Amino acid sequence: MKESASADGTIEISAIIPVGWRHEADLLALYGEYTAALDALAVSYEVILVLDGPRPELAADVQRLLSSGQTVSVIGLTRRFGEATALVAGFQRARGRIIVTLPAYRQIRATEIGKLVRALGVVDLAIGKRWPRAGSRFETVRRNVFHRMLASVTGQRLHDLGCSARAMKRRVLEEVTLYGDQHRFLPVLASRSGFKVMEIELQQSPLDRLAGSYATREYIRGALDICTVFFLVRFTKKPLRFFGMVGVSTFVIGAALVAWLALDRLVLGHPLADRPALLLSSLLVVLGMQLFALGLLGELIIFTHARDIKDYQIEEVVRYPAQAQPFAEETRPVERVL
Amino acid sequence: MSLDLSIVVPLFNEEESVRPLYAAIVAGVAPLGVSFEIVLVDDGSRDGTVRIADEIARADPRVCLVRFRRNYGQTPAMAAGIAEARGEIIVTMDGDLQNDPADIGQLLAKIDEGNDIVVGWRHNRQDKLWTRKVPSRIANALIARVTGVPIRDNGCSLKAYRASLIKSIPLYSEMHRFIPAMASIAGPRIAEIRVRHHARAFGHSKYGLSRIYKVLLDLMVIKTVASFTARPMLWFAMLSLPMLAIAAATLGWSLVNFAATGKISLSIAGTGVIFFTSTVMLLAAGALGELIYELGDVREHQFSGLTQRLLLASGRRQ
Repeated sequence: MKESASADGTIEISAIIPVGWRHEADLLALYGEYTAALDALAVSYEVILVLDGPRPELAADVQRLLSSGQTVSVIGLTRRFGEATALVAGFQRARGRIIVTLPAYRQIRATEIGKLVRALGVVDLAIGKRWPRAGSRFETVRRNVFHRMLASVTGQRLHDLGCSARAMKRRVLEEVTLYGDQHRFLPVLASRSGFKVMEIELQQSPLDRLAGSYATREYIRGALDICTVFFLVRFTKKPLRFFGMVGVSTFVIGAALVAWLALDRLVLGHPLADRPALLLSSLLVVLGMQLFALGLLGELIIFTHARDIKDYQIEEVVRYPAQAQPFAEETRPVERVL
Repeated sequence: MSLDLSIVVPLFNEEESVRPLYAAIVAGVAPLGVSFEIVLVDDGSRDGTVRIADEIARADPRVCLVRFRRNYGQTPAMAAGIAEARGEIIVTMDGDLQNDPADIGQLLAKIDEGNDIVVGWRHNRQDKLWTRKVPSRIANALIARVTGVPIRDNGCSLKAYRASLIKSIPLYSEMHRFIPAMASIAGPRIAEIRVRHHARAFGHSKYGLSRIYKVLLDLMVIKTVASFTARPMLWFAMLSLPMLAIAAATLGWSLVNFAATGKISLSIAGTGVIFFTSTVMLLAAGALGELIYELGDVREHQFSGLTQRLLLASGRRQ
């Protein structure tokens, strides 16, 4: 029943569990919970465990798992590459039609996985939202502020980017490029590629707790996340629009200041030589110029690589052959791209 | 399979227009006696456009439908259609029936005369005066002046291109209005002809005045990109010259003043140093630009092959 792969060797679900620095001490217990939940779905599945960097503390567990005869693959990365890279490494081995990613520590009740998978009937990517959510009021406010700031950049209101339980159609990972820590922005990147994304409320595991020193780290990460998304969304395709605007406005402010100083000197006769304002204004002029130059360089990169950069995703190309049967529903489009 | 002509039509929520449009294209092109295909690009419509276009494609194998997963805008739609087109000549037109496919014959005749791009000019434009025609006049005058490509109507989608040329021009952002300007880096022969323009019969215009800001920015980008891609070092050096002049003037003045009075003004000397630094940074940016251009795969000098022609002694036509 574990792997009742269908005749043509395809599998329904590939569950990828990236194991980073934060993982359950007893990974086997968690694995057992996940497989029990996947068994309950009564479809063929495989589990892929990706160790992001050496995890000597897990070596014994992994050996036990591998020799237990379960259909699990374990991929070990030689150093820490980041969760997104680990996900992609797992995906490259995945054979499932549906990809489910699961956290290596308890975030959600394992029994909730089915909800995510079922949501794929309507959407391309279903991401978990732990709800109702435990935690102090302060935590809730902090999370809210973060997600609202993110929404102001992307125009997409999400509630729980930190939840690693997601289910998606295979196409999503085939088309969205992920690296480093970008796994958290998968919903942002996927909807930019035109996929339908939905948040699904999942019951939080009672064991989902933050370690004490984790919070400060979380702040820095949050700030960096917003910058990353901002540049991904606003800048990557139109560098000159962004840098050009900031650059030109800085330049204009600087130039106006210089003009006023010159007027002050020539008409009102105030001496110029001992005024720090001159330094400030010339700095602004120069800064504006440099930003503009950066935007130009960005634009040059886009232009010279325009053939690799596609700013659209084709769902399908429909070409019927010359002798199409007008009423046979089976003769669907012959040529499907992507 | 090689075709003479591909007609690329981006569609966005045009369910009423698709069928009349298809009929008009077939009626306009069939008498020309060329082999053709129609590439309909659905730009993520939310109405029945896809269903109707799919029915048309099923009934007529000359019709191909490219579907976007969501709405991306007119430039990506045109780019996708052009990439998919297999004809030797590509005609683009709007999906809202404002262009008349009966004009395609004229466009082809102009291409046969040896032009690489033929642009339609809606000389009798059927749109609102103040919100559409006047801004468009101003924009066109500006575009013509800035890009040096004297086209009276950049906004008209009815255009014909040689496929080899248009397929190698990078199309991104919102550049469909500037394809001729963008293509001008390849030095094509461009002709302009008068085309008919009808008032909108169905649906409503998807563009407002807000696009002007984007048009102006894109114009600036194209102008700079087109003028500097092949020689970034030179371009950045030109940009740094005024900076260098200011640096030389302020530093020179400081030195002279120092020699005369023994005092140095921190603000003025500092200004000189700042501007000098900027000169150096811009030159460095120019060097980086050369590197980027060198490593890129779309490069200006490659375009010369697209439009070059062997010159023969007069009296013989190639």
